[in-house]
Amino acid sequence: MRIPRGELRRSRVVDDAAAVLRTVLDEELTGYVVFEPQDALLLGEPTRGVVTFEDGVPVLAYDTEREVGGRDGLEGFAVTGPTRAAVHAVDADALADAHEVEAFRVPPGEPARVLAGDERLAAETTDAAPAARRDEGRDQSAVESFLADADAIEEIRSEAREEARARASEWGLDDVLADDADDADTDDDADTAAIDVGPDSR
Amino acid sequence: MVEAFAVASGKGGTGKTTSTLALGMALAEDYDVTVIDADTGMANLLFHAGLDDADVTLHDLLVDERDAAVSDAVYERFGMSVVPCGTSLTAFEAADPGRLRDVVAELAADTDVLLLDSPAALGSKSAVLPVVLADRIVVVLQPTVPSLSDGLKVQEYAHSYGTDTAGVVFNRVRPDENVDRIAEQAGRYFGGQTLASVPESDAVRAARREGKPLLAHAPDGPAADAFREAAARLDVCDGDGREVAERFKNAVVPERI
Repeated sequence: MRIPRGELRRSRVVDDAAAVLRTVLDEELTGYVVFEPQDALLLGEPTRGVVTFEDGVPVLAYDTEREVGGRDGLEGFAVTGPTRAAVHAVDADALADAHEVEAFRVPPGEPARVLAGDERLAAETTDAAPAARRDEGRDQSAVESFLADADAIEEIRSEAREEARARASEWGLDDVLADDADDADTDDDADTAAIDVGPDSR
Repeated sequence: MVEAFAVASGKGGTGKTTSTLALGMALAEDYDVTVIDADTGMANLLFHAGLDDADVTLHDLLVDERDAAVSDAVYERFGMSVVPCGTSLTAFEAADPGRLRDVVAELAADTDVLLLDSPAALGSKSAVLPVVLADRIVVVLQPTVPSLSDGLKVQEYAHSYGTDTAGVVFNRVRPDENVDRIAEQAGRYFGGQTLASVPESDAVRAARREGKPLLAHAPDGPAADAFREAAARLDVCDGDGREVAERFKNAVVPERI
């Protein structure tokens, strides 16, 4: 992806991406931010991504290391912890061509959600987006293809299961985890059990 | 009898609070319903229920050395008992999420159905607690990839804590979207049943502006009908209120986030 080089406004390490996304939204930046998660760097895994903005609202996302764009690209540089954020301003006309690349576009609230897990900011960003962009990401055929990909869905589910268990330890909620929660094959049982959930179920 | 449902989405903007109050009003025709705004970090149920000026809220019940009784934060509105949450960030920071368990336990002793409006996030203990404490979750989805993906995640979190899925509500569905096909596909991954497909409606925004739940503002509209259909499909399990209250009290939820 080619993005015209912009004028560097500032570059600093921040605790999380939300702070940068919020500032950029407030100052209605047209340009791009390069994110470099610091923990990944320390681990010797160079990770870097770019999000472009129009009037403070994210338009494109691109993982420059893996060369993947769009929501998948975002996930490539969504690493928790401190990140170096270099904010660049670019003239809107100069970005127009790059912003035509449909495959790299992301819904307005997606960077806040994926990079920072900040739903409030995601909602505010969506509200600030032009009316025509608020419904982005609502493509029925994309939804149907997503649901048809059973392997990808199982991956989302198993990652979420692992994350839930890891966080339960972090939060001291181990004792309320269901015994069978780490067994992926119990899903059908769980559904059946929904009919009769007794107090003993946890 | 009592069953606690967490109304969850994992993602913002799906209309979770609207859904919680709509399901609550519909269920209130047959049951004693208590609705709790368990989204302690981003409360907005109070605006939907005309409780902007509520003196005592859930926040007051979650602080150390509180002097408010649980009943002080319960407001009888639209045929339901409503426990709003305040919007002050300072109050949120002072709140101890672990105390939610005690509050829910006390409320469970005296109601048929508890609905917990849950945070649209999974990143903190306070955000996950409603899903931990509930018997089942109702997942509110929009027919979009991010919403379905986040809905799957919240469901996995719930299942990890032994909380099953009661069903899925497709909300804010646009006229050009064929939710039947999506629902059929999604049914392979989500537990429970498709409870309803609720059309996108201007009445929802108007209701919010008026500070009324959708079913009070536009009871005869298609969105209200769909929520009533969802409530009718939601077979509320018989449970012993005291046992549920006891379970909440015993749920191991130590200190702070």
